[in-house]
Amino acid sequence: MFSNHFYERFNVDERITEQIGFNPYNLNIGSGLNEKIYIEGQPMIDLASNNYLGLATDQRVKKSVISAVNQYGVSLCGTPIATGSIDIYKRIESKLSQFIGLEETVLFPSCYQANNGLFASIATKEDLIIVDRLAHSSLIQGIQAVGCKIKPFIHNDLKNLKDNLKQSHHYKQVFVVTESVFSTTGDITPFKEITALCHQYNALPIVDDSHGIGVLGKSGKGILEEQNITDYKGIYTASLGKAFANAGGMISGERKIIDYLKYYCPHLVYSTTLTPGTLAGIEAVLEIIGSEFGKIKKKLYRNKKIILESLQSLEWDISSSRTPINSIKTKSRENTIQLAKKMYNNGIFSTPFIEPSVPVNEGCIRLIAGAHLSESVLIKTGEILKRIKNT
Amino acid sequence: MILIKKPAATGGMKMNTSERVFYVLKKNLNKQETIALNSHLKRDLMIDSLDTLLIISALENEFSIQINEEDFKDIETVHDIIFKLETYIKEI
Repeated sequence: MFSNHFYERFNVDERITEQIGFNPYNLNIGSGLNEKIYIEGQPMIDLASNNYLGLATDQRVKKSVISAVNQYGVSLCGTPIATGSIDIYKRIESKLSQFIGLEETVLFPSCYQANNGLFASIATKEDLIIVDRLAHSSLIQGIQAVGCKIKPFIHNDLKNLKDNLKQSHHYKQVFVVTESVFSTTGDITPFKEITALCHQYNALPIVDDSHGIGVLGKSGKGILEEQNITDYKGIYTASLGKAFANAGGMISGERKIIDYLKYYCPHLVYSTTLTPGTLAGIEAVLEIIGSEFGKIKKKLYRNKKIILESLQSLEWDISSSRTPINSIKTKSRENTIQLAKKMYNNGIFSTPFIEPSVPVNEGCIRLIAGAHLSESVLIKTGEILKRIKNT
Repeated sequence: MILIKKPAATGGMKMNTSERVFYVLKKNLNKQETIALNSHLKRDLMIDSLDTLLIISALENEFSIQINEEDFKDIETVHDIIFKLETYIKEI
């Protein structure tokens, strides 16, 4: 019978997690992202979330969200194009544009949808998309949906990118896609050089600044500020669920393309708009970044340094990074889940990455110590890491 | 359309097709595993779909050709790549 065959093939491969006796995925969190969080009822130190600035439980952000819910309710129950948007929606689009320094912005329900929908809206089968080998899945899946020629280039390798651009003249349009900060290793892309190459070879640069916005640059404005890119003519995307501690995604760039996406990007046009609470939360975070970023950044980088020095002194195999991301190279799936289990059992909540999120045998454990974590908690974290390393 | 020009990545060094394929694989894949003629791309070199696209792209640059990805979908080993490329070159 059809239904039996159909359902039989949907099996989750749990061999490794069963063998190791730990499944790090879809755990139950019983608290907000405070200094101490509760997972499956146990107190833990959160080095897993992307709560870079520690604003996910900030009182001012919560107050702003509650106020918006009181004024507008919990949902607008429709799409921006069909049923309209509230004043905060337009205001945030404008404020985010000013923040990163681009002409116009459109908000998406998630950055996944932004990245996924973008390419189907702007690229055709006759085009070439050159993409960093380690770019995020949301970008890759969006690119693959176009059905055009795809050329991955070696991670952050400008020569390899240039080699591909040199061979790009057969194509109607050429796009170069990368991330500002690579989420698993924390390394920063040489984006200024990439934009220069794009200019030289008439290609359009696209950057996902999800781990850069609210983190990089003197004022937290992200990769463009960090690398002093002042005349950016490409497309910019970012998540508002990491340093911005809310949810949603954004695409920014020239007004003409943003206006086009507002009408023709199906991932936006057919999705329920961001809730009033989320919009108000984003606005509150923007205000805090505007007035306190320098102070918060100092704590964020102090915390990164404490974890990094601890890992270095214990001679863990780590990726070098100038961002708040610390990443331990664990390589195989087994080693990765095993280390995540040890950390979990000792009270550290970490993020393990295995294929297909990373290339085969390039597994890693990511540790992000948000700015809200105190020095004493991080010193304790260092002691735990030492205990884990020595067992 | 297939057009063979001077080798790109190998910088004009005198190498045959097989040597150039090995050169491209070693240069483009960040793998510690030894690459041999009978290495299975998925099982031995742990190459995924994006790696495959990266290799095709590197071969296109190295041999100055355009490769139809459909032609490479059945490739399983390093030897298969070399054989397929030699077929491409003979077709000129």
